[in-house]
Amino acid sequence: MDFVQNFPCFSVILCLFAGILSSGLKDKAAMRVNTCLLGIVTLLSGATLLYTLQTGQSFVYVMGKFPAPWGNEIRAGVLEALTALFFCVIMLLSLLGGRHKLLEEVESGKTYLYYVLTDLLLSSLLALVYTNDMFTAYVFVEINTISACGLIMIRQNGRTIEAAVRYMIMSLLGSGLLLLGLCMLYDLTGHLLMSNMKESVARLAATGQYEIPLIVAIVLISVGICIKSALFPFHAWLPDAYGYSTVSSAAILSSLVSKGYIFLLIKIIYRVIGFDIYGDTRIIDVLFAFGLMGMIFGSLSAIKENDVRRMIAYSSVAQIGYIYMGFGMGTEAGMTASVFHILSHAATKSLLFIAAIGLTDVSGGSRKFIELTGAGYRNKWAGAAFTVGSLSMVGMPLFSGFISKLLFAQAAVQNHVKMLPALIVLGVSTILNAIYFMKTVIRIYTPVGYSAYPSITFVKMRVYAVTLVAFILLNVILGISSQPVVDMIRQGLAMFS
Amino acid sequence: MYLILLSIFVPMAAGLCLLILPEKNIVRARLLSAVSMAYLLTAVLVTAALTRCYDVSYTLFHLTASLPVCFHIDETGVLFAALTLIVLLCAGFFSFAYMKHEKKEKRYYGFYLIVFGVLNALCFAGNLITFYLFFEILTLTSMPLVLHNGSREAIMAGLKYLFYSLCGAYMALFGIYFIWKNSSTLAFTAGGVLHMTTGGNISGPNSLPGAAAGGNTAILLIAACACLLGFGVKAGMFPMHAWLPAAHPVAPAPASAALSAVIVKAGVLAVVRVVYYIFGPDFLRGSWVQTAWLTLTLLTVFMGSMLAYREPVLKKRLAYSTVSQLSYILFGLAVMNVTAVTGGLLHVLAHGFIKAVLFLVAGAIICTTGRTRVEELRGIGKEMPLTMWCYTIASLGLIGIPPTGGFISKWYLAIGSLQSNTPAFAGAGPVFRWLGPVVLLVSALLTAGYLLPLTIHGFLPGADYDYAHLQKREPSPWMTVPIVILTALSVLLGLFPNLLTDRIMGFVSTLM
Repeated sequence: MDFVQNFPCFSVILCLFAGILSSGLKDKAAMRVNTCLLGIVTLLSGATLLYTLQTGQSFVYVMGKFPAPWGNEIRAGVLEALTALFFCVIMLLSLLGGRHKLLEEVESGKTYLYYVLTDLLLSSLLALVYTNDMFTAYVFVEINTISACGLIMIRQNGRTIEAAVRYMIMSLLGSGLLLLGLCMLYDLTGHLLMSNMKESVARLAATGQYEIPLIVAIVLISVGICIKSALFPFHAWLPDAYGYSTVSSAAILSSLVSKGYIFLLIKIIYRVIGFDIYGDTRIIDVLFAFGLMGMIFGSLSAIKENDVRRMIAYSSVAQIGYIYMGFGMGTEAGMTASVFHILSHAATKSLLFIAAIGLTDVSGGSRKFIELTGAGYRNKWAGAAFTVGSLSMVGMPLFSGFISKLLFAQAAVQNHVKMLPALIVLGVSTILNAIYFMKTVIRIYTPVGYSAYPSITFVKMRVYAVTLVAFILLNVILGISSQPVVDMIRQGLAMFS
Repeated sequence: MYLILLSIFVPMAAGLCLLILPEKNIVRARLLSAVSMAYLLTAVLVTAALTRCYDVSYTLFHLTASLPVCFHIDETGVLFAALTLIVLLCAGFFSFAYMKHEKKEKRYYGFYLIVFGVLNALCFAGNLITFYLFFEILTLTSMPLVLHNGSREAIMAGLKYLFYSLCGAYMALFGIYFIWKNSSTLAFTAGGVLHMTTGGNISGPNSLPGAAAGGNTAILLIAACACLLGFGVKAGMFPMHAWLPAAHPVAPAPASAALSAVIVKAGVLAVVRVVYYIFGPDFLRGSWVQTAWLTLTLLTVFMGSMLAYREPVLKKRLAYSTVSQLSYILFGLAVMNVTAVTGGLLHVLAHGFIKAVLFLVAGAIICTTGRTRVEELRGIGKEMPLTMWCYTIASLGLIGIPPTGGFISKWYLAIGSLQSNTPAFAGAGPVFRWLGPVVLLVSALLTAGYLLPLTIHGFLPGADYDYAHLQKREPSPWMTVPIVILTALSVLLGLFPNLLTDRIMGFVSTLM
């Protein structure tokens, strides 16, 4: 066994220990530990990615050397390593970009708690990405939920507490459904390891035994995860949670937490149920339909919104709709497009949240559009970054959003039944996106003769500006040289089955 | 082969360098010499590319596995590239004198050069995706030219331009998705690339209309409509024309000339590419899309002229005139026979030269007198005789009086329209056959009505004009020489049209 094969396990364990360690540290030290941790985990994930690319196959790491049907396993392929690497980078950038806000909004002496929570969140995300065991997945889903609630609540005001309670209720409902589904699957298959479950499920599907319980289990799991990742009719918790929490939390929640669950669903589709069996159930059409509805209604809500942060949050609803639409195609190409959109949306949405905070900061902290007039001139870096993010969201070529739209269109035209609705909704939602994002860009670049708010210079926000530049670069790289990433995703998906 | 890339990326790189250089320690003379070096280098490169790399393809990189970004020079590309080169060079040298009294010159030249490169890329684009890519970049990079002076009006106009263009481009992209499904390639191929009913082979120029693309004809027609409307935004076609009269007049005059004469032609080029190189005229001829398109263009021709007639500010009047004249071109393309398309493409050149002259003259007037409204310009012909003579000749060209270029193009447009058999709707007679020339003539009359008063009052100010205080205020040669060159070109186009018409007709007939 190569040494690199230990890395996924190391990453998860390191995060857990860093969390425990940080709980005894002062604010500054906890922040440093967190930054170092993210750096190390990024390196480890990068090494894993290189290793899997080189060997060309995935590997299974047996925890504690207990053999297969009983022990706990970690599995890493190209897609897992790529996602883990991406999550670490986005989290690092989101935390750096929101650091000054965090210090402002959270009582001093308590920010160390924030870093404890992010350490735990990272560990749960990595575990969701890497695990090969459904029960472990469930445990880390719960850890994820609790730390995400903490991230919302750490900024103590009425709205965040309300948002956190809402989030908690919806999220626990989702976890409950997931747990029920898992229990049923365990009943049916007698296993908890994904590979063993898949064999049993295939056998059940082939013989037609327990057909209805199997479908019910699949539905419960899918709906549970849809609730947790805020697919359209279950999105009511989202705007408050993203809109009022501190900015790093909003960025992390929108671009990582919901994506972690979606990634888990992808793993379940491929590694537990089997892509074909999942595709044969009707749930896939339901996902498709709700994905399309989300794309339209999310954008419509965003257009109506008068608060820039909540507008970006509603745009997430639309983008999650895109991802589920890709699932709903039921093809390899659709899945590839969805996975690419997970990455591209993560990079863009966190950029938008971080840029928006720079703009509201120079508008007296108000998030109403009228106050944002001319903010692009007062904070030039945030203005430019917001523009790039918006252009990427509406699908300007050279930015990552364009490539995801192309991939979705490419996937749509392969599916004869779903082509027309998919393309029409894709077109309509692009125009809707353009309406509200361009409205904002126009607003922030509308000149005002005299402004009550001072502009901000580069010196005062060095870390912030560098973060924004890194985000922009990430977007442009994904937009220009998307082919290697898409190839990796294809390779990774092939390793899944 | 690398000449293609160089002619695109050298001006872009030069522009970027200008933008990045710090503002403070630049002497104006050195800036100008650097810019003129860049102009000349680009001119040499484009000329070399046009002559040496004709019919050469070059793939730059792959956006995704099936979507290469590639360049290819063909006849249409040569035509548009030549127009771009001539007009942008003239307007570019004109800016040296004009921009003296504007701020942020460096930024202006920077974006001007980048737009130059992007326009070359559009002319040389070898497939629809490359074209779309640079089409979007063109919107972004030409926006700073619109909002150059930074006034509230300019910025709002720039953002309006951005919004309209983006919406248009996304409508077009929506159409492109469908094209993609029904064609094996997005490379520009004369006669179209749509699949035939049986088998996967590409339909040739002789395929039956409507038989193409199997059962998807209805969807593809919608896609074609989306593409036409979407790309038509850039060409100021009704109902998405409102950005044009807002955006063009607020830019500095040479930039308005470039916008009105060349950049809007990118929309025309897009329509040519989509209709004649992707869908193929056989597919669209006789469909409801053609009818709708013809109706829209004629409506725009008439409406643009009417609005121009009512407009008191000279530059705005010229912008409305652009709306109207561009739809002459689109009308020619919509008729879809060899004569009309030839007329349309000739009008691309004629309108390009003429509109550049008109905007540059407006710029020269603003620069020397500071006056913008038409009624303030009494006696201007006495003050600036050379400039106003050029204006008059160009105006006659735009109205379509021989022996100028405008006459030839309109002649072909009218003849082409008379030859067409397109019914307005199923069962009706070929209404457009006579309606086209009628609208063109009425609009020509209106054109005379909105352009010539300036000449009349400029040269014949009336008895009460104060001749005592008359002073000669001819602008500097940096301004007059480009104007004279462009005027001469527009006249030459009318005097020796056969050199061009034969060639254009030759390649247009291969498209049909």
